[in-house]
Amino acid sequence: MKIIVCMKQVPVKDSLLKIKDDNSWVHEDELNYEINESDHYALETALRLKEAHGGEVVILTMGPERVKEAIKQGLAKGADRALYINNADFTSIDPMTNAKVLAAAISPETPDLVLAGLQTDDNGSGQTGVILAENLGLPHTSIVMEIEKLDNGIKVKRELESGWFQWIELPLPALLTIQSGINQIRYATIKGIMMAKKKEVKELALSDLGLSGADVAAGSTGLDFQKVYVPEKTKQALILEGDPKDVAEQLADKLKNEAKVF
Amino acid sequence: MASSEEPMKSFTKAMFAGGLEQDIVFPYPKMDPDEEENLSMILGSIREFFKDKVDSAEIDRTGEIPAEVLDGLNELGVMGMSIPEEFGGYGFSSTAYNRVFEEVAARDASLGVTVGGHQSIGLKALLLHGTEEQKKRFLPKLASGEWLAGFALTEPGAGSDAAGIQTKAIQDGPDGQYTLNGSKIWITNGGLANFFTVFAKTPVGEDGKENITAFIVTRDMPGFASGREEEKLGIHGSSTTELTFDNVKVPQDYVIGPLGKGFKVAMEVLNSGRLGLAAGCAGGVKRLAAMSAEYAQNRKQFNTAIADFEMIQHKISDMVVDAFVAESMVYLTTGLIDRGDVDYSIESAMCKVFASEAVWRAANEGMQIAGGLGYSKEYPYEQTLRDARINLIFEGTNEVLRAFIALAGMQEHGEYLKKVGKALQSPLSAMGLLTDFAIHRIKGRVATQRLEGISEVLRAELGKFEEYAKDLHLVTERVLGKYRKDIINQEFLLHRIADMAIDLFGMVSVISRVDSLIKEKGQEKVQREIAITKIFCEEAWRRVRRNSRQIDNNIDDLRKEVALGTYEAKGFAVDFVA
Ligand SMILES: Cc1cc2nc3c(=O)[nH]c(=O)nc-3n(C[C@H](O)[C@H](O)[C@H](O)COP(=O)(O)OP(=O)(O)OC[C@H]3O[C@@H](n4cnc5c(N)ncnc54)[C@H](O)[C@@H]3O)c2cc1C
Repeated sequence: MKIIVCMKQVPVKDSLLKIKDDNSWVHEDELNYEINESDHYALETALRLKEAHGGEVVILTMGPERVKEAIKQGLAKGADRALYINNADFTSIDPMTNAKVLAAAISPETPDLVLAGLQTDDNGSGQTGVILAENLGLPHTSIVMEIEKLDNGIKVKRELESGWFQWIELPLPALLTIQSGINQIRYATIKGIMMAKKKEVKELALSDLGLSGADVAAGSTGLDFQKVYVPEKTKQALILEGDPKDVAEQLADKLKNEAKVF
Repeated sequence: MASSEEPMKSFTKAMFAGGLEQDIVFPYPKMDPDEEENLSMILGSIREFFKDKVDSAEIDRTGEIPAEVLDGLNELGVMGMSIPEEFGGYGFSSTAYNRVFEEVAARDASLGVTVGGHQSIGLKALLLHGTEEQKKRFLPKLASGEWLAGFALTEPGAGSDAAGIQTKAIQDGPDGQYTLNGSKIWITNGGLANFFTVFAKTPVGEDGKENITAFIVTRDMPGFASGREEEKLGIHGSSTTELTFDNVKVPQDYVIGPLGKGFKVAMEVLNSGRLGLAAGCAGGVKRLAAMSAEYAQNRKQFNTAIADFEMIQHKISDMVVDAFVAESMVYLTTGLIDRGDVDYSIESAMCKVFASEAVWRAANEGMQIAGGLGYSKEYPYEQTLRDARINLIFEGTNEVLRAFIALAGMQEHGEYLKKVGKALQSPLSAMGLLTDFAIHRIKGRVATQRLEGISEVLRAELGKFEEYAKDLHLVTERVLGKYRKDIINQEFLLHRIADMAIDLFGMVSVISRVDSLIKEKGQEKVQREIAITKIFCEEAWRRVRRNSRQIDNNIDDLRKEVALGTYEAKGFAVDFVA
């Protein structure tokens, strides 16, 4: 099975984000980055499928030079090679644009399976994977927790709400978005780390993908990105004062008539 | 390796002899960038693994490292870091090996000692002196962690005086087979390892004079047994046992290194092994500094975070300085090993003494900062304190190492003086020596040797280093002149001389490291490192001066009198109420 895993590098959890003066974005150069959590699980899932059924695991990632670090980590954990789209000449936080570029890189590889994380820990749209499936013309399932290989396709367990699950069968090729926490992620071993250097990382520019600047220009997909700002405070804390009996009465009244919790 | 005629250069020996070999310690050694990148990733894996899988308090409580943890370390590849790739390992440089080892040991001392007992010393003789055949047979199993290794030197009657071992190997079997009898105590990994490097006395040569030889002994050999686990103050998860050899038959090709040269092999192993220990201690100080700083910021007394009290700030600052200096000494010395052409034996002993005492100070102050809670078993401070204590004892006690540092430092100079003495008896045949001698006097007495091209901001610190390096040389000359061979019995003085050397080496290590950092990143970016250098050097040169002054002007006689009086009294003879 040839599996492509889409991985993104995101700011380390709990990073202190500083917004640029012109509200165009955050200051990226002061941040530390890590592999997006659910992408880790997507990679682990792919490695396990390969171990059970053979084949190849290819990492696909896009971003500035720093994301090579994530690629190396993926290769160290056992992926066979990587495709790296250097986006030095464009930036986009638009899932449609990103999916368009990723699809252009995936198509010529004709994989059996494309795995992506459920969503990214930075923008959190949860859209890129599913739009990508549409662009590639592949069937897809989201929030996948388990994958079983069948003779003529796969059977996957999908998370619904409130502890409900769904089993679905899909033909291959297909695209799945993977839920976090579904398996025990392996550690990169010394051997894996030392072998990573020898693995192929193919660097792709937009032109290699048959795309032009116009294809990725801001607003080209209809998404209008205006500004980044810290959520404005609209609610305020109210401190009730007085003797306990009074305060309890006031509180009950507010809960009942203002907050309407009972 | 250089021939015995031409000993390898040593920075410290040269310093004792009045010279500063700048090119040995400047610029500060830099790792190969590829290796450094790999190393960062490996450290990342180790940290994740420890966070998920290692419960150090549990290891302390149960006295056992769970199999899952050892298997995990094997899987990561930790057991084969220093073994060449052709034998199933990863061929790490000494710097990379010790840096990973530091991370392991700082997170759990029992695991550190287990890995160190295996790799820093257990299999090291095989690595350094094994035959191709021996390496092929054993290293792959040791690299994967399928087998652990141990290093068996110490015996009931031979601890610090390791040359006094009694275990015997007599070559009396077919095909040159040896019969081994005797016992070892305090052997790390004694209950776990399958492979031991065992040192035993063998009759060597025509006259049958006994000398020490290193042997490979495997657990499956009939007559080999390991005893029960020692109950120890700390490192509870590390296996420490007695080993007994009852007519153990050891094949002739299980001898490691030259026959009769086992003591040299053991010392060589320990010279490099001590660095691992020092690296682990440096890591421990770093960890304690971070833990204590965090605790101090969260604990409030008198409506103030205790972190705001200056007595606490002094402690935190001391920890950070100690950690930085220990680290600087250790990775300067691992860099010397990786160069391959210098003698690092004294430097590694200095790293061990400094770092082990630094981690003990830090564990002590860390507990103090945590107050009553520090004393409770619910928090990690008391375990850290117990675990840290062993480092001052094993792989050469700090007393024995201080004697070694001072004596080995002075040795070259002593031999030089001896030669000069001989030369004076037949001056014509030794013109060369005498000219050399004259230059040497000039170097030592008149012209100070200076280090060139060091960042201006470290001028004052460098000046103090140069001044007191020269002072160490003068002290050496004076005490050698006065005591000659009897210097080995002047331990009050040896202690001071060793401490002078350690402080000086600490100074030059931080100056070199920070000088390189300044040149790489610019002075503004390394202000804190510069401050640390200034703090350490300021305190270090004053200690060196005090030690130097007390060489001739001291109260050693009074101390001796009190000690001897106490021995004689067979009790505490100055009781308030007897
Ligand atoms: C947990 C643990 C693990 C160990 N692991 C190993 C191992 O794997 N392999 C191994 O071979 N050994 C091992 N050892 C042994 C260890 O190296 C010795 O304990 C150490 O060398 C000291 O020897 P000793 O205990 O006999 O003390 P002694 O030599 O009796 O020393 C007692 C005291 O006298 C001092 N002293 C001795 N001689 C002098 C002197 N000339 N001048 C001044 N002071 C002196 C010492 O510094 C010390 O303070 C281990 C020990 C422990 C506790």
